[in-house]
Amino acid sequence: MGVGALATRLLADYGAEVVRIEDRNRLDMPRRLPIYKDEPARAYGNEDPNPDPNKGGLFNNYNRNKLGVTIDMRRPEGRAVAERLIRVSDAVTENFAPGVMERWGLTEEHVRSLQPDAVYARMSGYGHSGPHAHYRSYGPVVQAVSGLSHVSGLPGRQPSGWGLSYMDNQAAYYNSSALLMALFARARTGVGTDVDVSAIEAGVEMLGPILLDVGVNGRTTRSDDFPLGNRLEHPPAAPHGVYPARGDDRWVAIAVFDDGEWKALVDALGSPDWAADERFATVESRHAHQDALDGFLADWARTRDRHEVMALLQAAGVRAAAVQDAADLTETDPQIAEHGTFFSMGHPVIGEALFEGVGFTTLRTAPDHWRSAPLLGEDNEYVCLDILGMDRAEYDELVATGVM
Amino acid sequence: MPSALPTPYEGLRVVELAVDPAGEMTGAQFAHLGAEVVKVEPPGGAPSRHTGPWAGDEPGPERSLAHWYYNGNKASVVLDLEADEGRAAFDRLLGTADLLVSSLHPRDLRRVGLDLRALVASDAFPSLVVVSITPFGLTGPWADHVSSDLVGLAASGLLNTSGYDDHSIPPIRPGGDQAFHTAASFAHMGALLALMERHHSGSGDLVDVAMHDSAAVTCELANPYYFYPKALVKRQTGRHAQPEPTQPATFECADGWVYFALILADQQPWQVLVEWLDSEGLAVDLTEEAYQDMEYRQANFAHVQDVIEVFFLLHTAAYAYHEGQRRGLPIGVVNAPEDVLRDEHMNARGFFVAVDHPGHGPVVHPGVPYRFSALSTAALTPTAALGADTERVLAALPDREGRA
Repeated sequence: MGVGALATRLLADYGAEVVRIEDRNRLDMPRRLPIYKDEPARAYGNEDPNPDPNKGGLFNNYNRNKLGVTIDMRRPEGRAVAERLIRVSDAVTENFAPGVMERWGLTEEHVRSLQPDAVYARMSGYGHSGPHAHYRSYGPVVQAVSGLSHVSGLPGRQPSGWGLSYMDNQAAYYNSSALLMALFARARTGVGTDVDVSAIEAGVEMLGPILLDVGVNGRTTRSDDFPLGNRLEHPPAAPHGVYPARGDDRWVAIAVFDDGEWKALVDALGSPDWAADERFATVESRHAHQDALDGFLADWARTRDRHEVMALLQAAGVRAAAVQDAADLTETDPQIAEHGTFFSMGHPVIGEALFEGVGFTTLRTAPDHWRSAPLLGEDNEYVCLDILGMDRAEYDELVATGVM
Repeated sequence: MPSALPTPYEGLRVVELAVDPAGEMTGAQFAHLGAEVVKVEPPGGAPSRHTGPWAGDEPGPERSLAHWYYNGNKASVVLDLEADEGRAAFDRLLGTADLLVSSLHPRDLRRVGLDLRALVASDAFPSLVVVSITPFGLTGPWADHVSSDLVGLAASGLLNTSGYDDHSIPPIRPGGDQAFHTAASFAHMGALLALMERHHSGSGDLVDVAMHDSAAVTCELANPYYFYPKALVKRQTGRHAQPEPTQPATFECADGWVYFALILADQQPWQVLVEWLDSEGLAVDLTEEAYQDMEYRQANFAHVQDVIEVFFLLHTAAYAYHEGQRRGLPIGVVNAPEDVLRDEHMNARGFFVAVDHPGHGPVVHPGVPYRFSALSTAALTPTAALGADTERVLAALPDREGRA
């Protein structure tokens, strides 16, 4: 849903001219999702039958700093415009189900005939080969099939999995990197390349060492002692959990890895009697007696403010954090504020809105946040006249006939 | 098999100082895509060598699967950065590097006397790109805070989205070290941007990756829901956290689970689903005309859900997955890692690679999730023994006067 848009957003933020082609008759899902400013919140899946395509917040977040055009790719006149765009572009990227670009004639060979040095990056759930290449997917399906959902949850229960399309984000990051790698290599070799990234394969890479534990040691993960919830097996850390804090559904995460950190925790807690229990004397023993340990720690934490617990324990050198939500990040998180990770820009329909930046800052370069997301078809004229050098009559004809 | 095609990172030398999966995954991206990665380890070895799981469940610095997972295709050089000799050798090594990947905590950077800003500004390394990955970034009030994967997920807001419908259960950490992996993805993207900039300008840069910020912008809908309708999402079992409750999307089958989010508002998937149920005589009354109306479906949602639950319970997860997909529904089977290794599609794509680990034998690793037509990726090799490359790498360095 957002994979393609998010993958090219990084390039747009850092100065590439990104032209996003959309279909007026089949609105991009992030334009449809009911994430609207100054309106009551609705679950996604509960969208308007005829949404205003220009007020979707998710679309704005994903498509800032890009140019937006609408082209009817089902018509030969539309495909001709797309082909002219490809001729003047460095990279072509898409995340349709396999076969859609081919239906429009945009095979790898054809793209290369239009622009011999092009990077042609194909982003899909399953990749462009293999028996399930045509399967339909989005974040939660990718997470399920790649194993990431199964490894998340409490033992003996349904997996709790993911409360988000994590793999839409990660697939987008992998695709951003793939595009940049291909362009980086092209700058050296002068040769473009096709790129095939499968979100499911990226998801499997995300599984981590459990995959080797299963393969090498025959570990079975369909068992009553897996997954581990918030506990940690490697290394055997304890306490390692999420504890109730003061307030409704408020929590704080605490992770203690070694004896030094344990001593720091006990000191910060004021050396309560329970902490002197022999069961908690060593890492192994604390790990073996986590149920009891977690009980004591929960009782200690539940009357305290989660951010106060975080500050107290961090001051003592203990790994701890409030379980923060979007309000915390936006309103009070000092790192997000210091780094400018969320920033604001105006939008002609939405008005002033916040955006999510990237996870890093750089010393010698900065992103160029020059505009919010384009309105539907906002840049048709600019792209046709200024980038493609069309004459006005030709452009007017494309608009009059509904091609653009 | 060696390929005649160049790799994306051919000729690039990377020095890695990694103490966690974020740094090691970042180094792995470069190693798998053709860079020469020199992993600098302290005399006792990187922490991953001392973290399980273990091959054959026998601990040992050459038997850590956590180490094997992230450190193939890297050279291992042992240097004691706290000793003058080690530090001098490190600086000479850096003089030959294009990129330094560091995941040292700010406190550890100070302890070993490594000032990354000064390094980038220094005349000694005019074109060095430094990628620093730390829990909260190198600047800001929380820069010195300590973290872990769980703590990082908590602070970033990602943890808040995941868990169970029952909110007496704390938020549950999604599995596989994803705060670390998210930081690694941003490190890779940031490094690529800096390398491309260097290609044009000749100068290096410091890419300051914060795990916190990386995960905070990877929560998908949670921040936009707050930015726009000022709503906070609430976690739900095995499906998206939403501002209002939505129906379960993970269905139990005869032998496992599938993910299937039925969007009642969508007409076409509804018809496909009812046809499927009806073809097996299990549609009950859902074939009735009244259900063609979205509002009627929504009003009778509990009954609809019951019928679907029964249907899935009567089938295996594999059948539900493949038959549902055959019919065009985005259904995902909840694979365990064991199933992932046997997955027909990924195996047909040749994704998994057997890597021969000395003293152990072949181990199946995930392959490189990037495929290029005009570039190759590295043939995966096993991890180097601790310090195996120290002598060779140091001997090839220019001496203090810069002679090779």
